Amino acid sequence: MSLNDTLKNLRENGIDEAKRAERLQELNDLRVNLLGKKGPITKALRGMKDVPAEERPEIGTLANNVKKDIQAAIEEKMVELNEKLVAKKLEDETIDVTLPATKQVQGTKHILNQTIEDIEQFFIGLGYEVAGGYEVEEDHYNFERLNIPKDHPARDMQDTFYLSDELLMRTQTSAQEGRDMEAHDFTKGPLKMISPGVVYRRDDDDATHSHQFHQIEGLVVDKNISMADLKGTLDALCRHVFGPDREIRFRPSYFPFTEPSVEVDVSCFNCGGQGCRICKYTGWIEVLGAGLTHPNVLKMSGIDPNEYSGMAFGLGPERFAMLKYGVNDIRDFYLNDVRFLEQFKGVN
Amino acid sequence: MKISVNWLKEYIPVTHTVEEMADKISLTGIESSPVKLGEELTNLVVGHITSIAPHPDSDHLKVCQVDVGESEDIQIVCGAPNAAADQYVIVALHGAHLPNGVKIKRGKLRGQESNGMICGLDEVGVPAKYMPEEFENGIYVFDEPQKPGQAVYDLLGLKEQMIDIDITPNRADTLGMRGAAWEIGATYDEKPSFTKPELDDAKVTSDSDITADVEEKQLVPDYLLREINGVKVAKSPLWMQRRLWNQGIRPVNSVVDAANYTMIEYGQPIQAYDADKLAAKKLVVKLAHNGDKLHLADEDKVLDANDLIITAGDQILGLAGVQTSDVAAVDENTKNVILEAGVFNGASVRKAAQRHDLRGDDSNRFEKGVDNGIVTEALMRAAQLVDQDSDVASISETITGNFTKAEPTIIKGSISHINHLMGLHLATDEITKILDRLGFDVAVAGDDITVTIPTRRWDMAIEADLVEEVNRIYGYANLPNTLPAGMETKGGYSPKRELANKLRDILLGEGMDEVINFSLLSKQEVEDFNVIDSEYTKLLHPMTEDHEYLRNSLVPGLVRNVAYNQARKNDDLQIFEHARIFSRATGKERPDEITYLSGAVSGNVVADSWNTTAQPADFYYVKGIVEELLSFVNADAEFTFEATKDYKNMHPGQTAKILANGQVIGFVGKLHPNYQKAHNVSDTYVFELNVDLLFDLNKKNVKAQAAPKYPAISRDLAILVDKDVENGQIVNDIFANGGKYLKDVNIFDVYQGKNIAANHKSLGYHLVFLNPNDTLTDEEVEKSFTVVKDSLVKKFNVEIR
Ligand SMILES: [Zn+2]
Repeated sequence: MSLNDTLKNLRENGIDEAKRAERLQELNDLRVNLLGKKGPITKALRGMKDVPAEERPEIGTLANNVKKDIQAAIEEKMVELNEKLVAKKLEDETIDVTLPATKQVQGTKHILNQTIEDIEQFFIGLGYEVAGGYEVEEDHYNFERLNIPKDHPARDMQDTFYLSDELLMRTQTSAQEGRDMEAHDFTKGPLKMISPGVVYRRDDDDATHSHQFHQIEGLVVDKNISMADLKGTLDALCRHVFGPDREIRFRPSYFPFTEPSVEVDVSCFNCGGQGCRICKYTGWIEVLGAGLTHPNVLKMSGIDPNEYSGMAFGLGPERFAMLKYGVNDIRDFYLNDVRFLEQFKGVN
Repeated sequence: MKISVNWLKEYIPVTHTVEEMADKISLTGIESSPVKLGEELTNLVVGHITSIAPHPDSDHLKVCQVDVGESEDIQIVCGAPNAAADQYVIVALHGAHLPNGVKIKRGKLRGQESNGMICGLDEVGVPAKYMPEEFENGIYVFDEPQKPGQAVYDLLGLKEQMIDIDITPNRADTLGMRGAAWEIGATYDEKPSFTKPELDDAKVTSDSDITADVEEKQLVPDYLLREINGVKVAKSPLWMQRRLWNQGIRPVNSVVDAANYTMIEYGQPIQAYDADKLAAKKLVVKLAHNGDKLHLADEDKVLDANDLIITAGDQILGLAGVQTSDVAAVDENTKNVILEAGVFNGASVRKAAQRHDLRGDDSNRFEKGVDNGIVTEALMRAAQLVDQDSDVASISETITGNFTKAEPTIIKGSISHINHLMGLHLATDEITKILDRLGFDVAVAGDDITVTIPTRRWDMAIEADLVEEVNRIYGYANLPNTLPAGMETKGGYSPKRELANKLRDILLGEGMDEVINFSLLSKQEVEDFNVIDSEYTKLLHPMTEDHEYLRNSLVPGLVRNVAYNQARKNDDLQIFEHARIFSRATGKERPDEITYLSGAVSGNVVADSWNTTAQPADFYYVKGIVEELLSFVNADAEFTFEATKDYKNMHPGQTAKILANGQVIGFVGKLHPNYQKAHNVSDTYVFELNVDLLFDLNKKNVKAQAAPKYPAISRDLAILVDKDVENGQIVNDIFANGGKYLKDVNIFDVYQGKNIAANHKSLGYHLVFLNPNDTLTDEEVEKSFTVVKDSLVKKFNVEIR
């Protein structure tokens, strides 16, 4: 067989073998065996000396082409095998994405605190400071300074836990009003504050009563505060909490520390005012009490009611949360069953 | 109080439905709801029993022939013992609907045809306790002949329409029909008209041997009597009876009913006494002696020196303004009557009523106040009603124990200020018109307004009251929505609350749920975790033993939560609470309120799942949470953990005090196994941090440093040491001797047990050295490392391994 033919045979066999290879190792072996220094092509080229000189360039070119072709066949096959390998690996690595996740748990803020903070943020946006106050308060601040002297019938409206004749568990966050008015420097601008916190009443715990619950008191004192300001503020609050389509209405009421005093109803977010079980078929739900700060309350804090006026409101986060989320038993907030707590993850 | 529309019509025109009125009154004045009695009632007519015969097959049933206005009498079988011939009665005809879904059908009773039912008042909707006593066990019998077949509803007030007003304590002026008429009239711009009571001059006499005296004139501004002689007590007329029972008052007789009717009409309680039953001719209002006894509401009430009483000689007639005893009750044999109209101090009445558990119609009115201006008139009205219905011989002039002339209140204000407080710009005449609707006299001089308030509105005192009256009648719905327009203010939380919020966010991020617990604990609970060593603070009058003391720790609440959840198979728990505890120093009355942040972890912190194995909570997990919290306090402080056995309900070997610069700021550890067992909780780890103390620490002054450019060199160190030596001591010593390039010391191995000498443990540390300004050499590191090792050997007798 001529050298020419030998090389052609080697090319044919080499390409053939490359195509038949099933593993990368076979291709590597093939390259070393065929194209290496000890390989058949190198060996065959030793027969060059028997080839007439004028044919040698042609054979040389042929030999290079044979090498190149085999090399190409090997590389082509390698790409193919690599692709298969990757495909197989991906196939092997395929998982059941419906299996449960590895838990990355964030805790849930208590729904009452979520409700309170939502309201706090609303008022902070309107320039209100958030004040804390005392849970153990003096009779003086909890009652006297709110225009509720001893023997006032309003004291019967709130049964009180006393610690002594003068100390009590505050029955209302309004107890903070006197302290805030005293502390405020009106030359630096209006007093605008809300004070959220825990209050206590001598009540038996049942589905709608709790001896401990929360309130948020709001107070603004400035030179030009009006009932219209109160209405506008509470209207915006109720839209923020209960939805943009809500409306509010005022009904006359009585609190010793405000005059005028109103109860505030919000249009039913459940039925839109048509009447349903939640709003007792009235279309309205009572959500808070409010009014203009009673002149006596201003005077007792050293504020001239002829120059300044104030507005105050008090709302119950428990009531807000019960209405908004359909909680039927106030005790659920204080039992802290984590299944109850965790359903409110991220609601506010 | 329920305002009867028919009654109201005597004073003002009524053109709206009770639903509309209740709505409108609620929005302009007083919370109201419509009441429509007997809506379900049908086919109830007057029947005349023309004859009655015993039932042939029953000893208690009777067979009645009843004229119901039809061509023929109908037969009705009746079991009432008081049924008799010639009575005018209530007949429920075939097909009649009665309360509670009862339907009447014709049928046979023991073989006798019965075409309806003869009814008692309670069967047609009048509550048994308010119907006249004589009909309690039988059918109702009209006092006067009525037209057979006519509907009974109006005769008996069975379908009365009313407005139930639920007053706030300041509006007791509407606890009488006349006051209510003023209020409702103002709502509809209708001035009520009233008829003045008058007495028959011929019967009025100045001749009376009754006198009155008030010892406590401060508490009793008005005390007026009238003696009425020669009375023939009868039944009061049906129109009065039906109004009374619809007010929830039982008709008794013409005198008692007149007194009660006057109270509803005027809001002024009136008492009636049988003059012949009195022990003396002089009525005296005075304070009781301690231990005096008075029989009221089927009980012997023991009185004390705060109780204001009405007496005649040594006879106690009643608790003034609260309740009158039966000793001088007017009955059918009474001949001479004393009517009493008094005004008693509200606080005194309220306390007495509370003390003796006797709140009622009278005390409700006196507590909230009555109109001092109508006492005389109300008494005259009562006398007039007695005279109308009881065939009276003579009526005395008013006998005065005390009398205080009621003066109208004058309120001065300014139109502009009133407008300003409303946020409105009403014209002067618009404001004066509204005040006039309320029956107030108004005088205007420029911007100044002077309003004269009649005595019936004793709640009105200051300009702000005018603001309320004008605004509510004008309509709150007509107010614009504005926001306070003053100087801009910057809102926000206090810095301490900001810190607490940040720390709570860390705990939420750690996967802990936030809880809120009660501040009031049981005695056992405050004793269990008095780690702050506070005096206990107890309520004067607790409701239950569970909530008697102010909490001195948040842990008992958290343990309650863990127990509650684990009892419900919520075994894996990570919870925290941010709240106040109360710490009281000995000798101080008022406790300090300290903000705490506390947590509890129980069960697994990593759940057993298809790809994870359960990891139970342990001390170090919770310590990790605490350290992360402390790192976010941003305090320039050294935080350390110090083993403690001080807390009786904590595990003595797994609890540490947490210190900041040597000051205790909290603790972390495992609950004592006995305590866990007693509270039915599995292994539980808790921590408490005093947020107030954390807040008071100096803030860290962070100065940025570039990330190191030179490589670090590390050395591992394995030592064998006595097991009582703490890691903290070793680490401190390593840092003390590691030289200025020692950056970090991490423990990577703690081993005790097999292959380790008894009472010893093996510890492995990873030391990292770094020179931020130059490349460290091995020689430099080795030198420091040797100093470290030598010191450990010397100080702790460690064996370097
Ligand atoms: Zn609704």
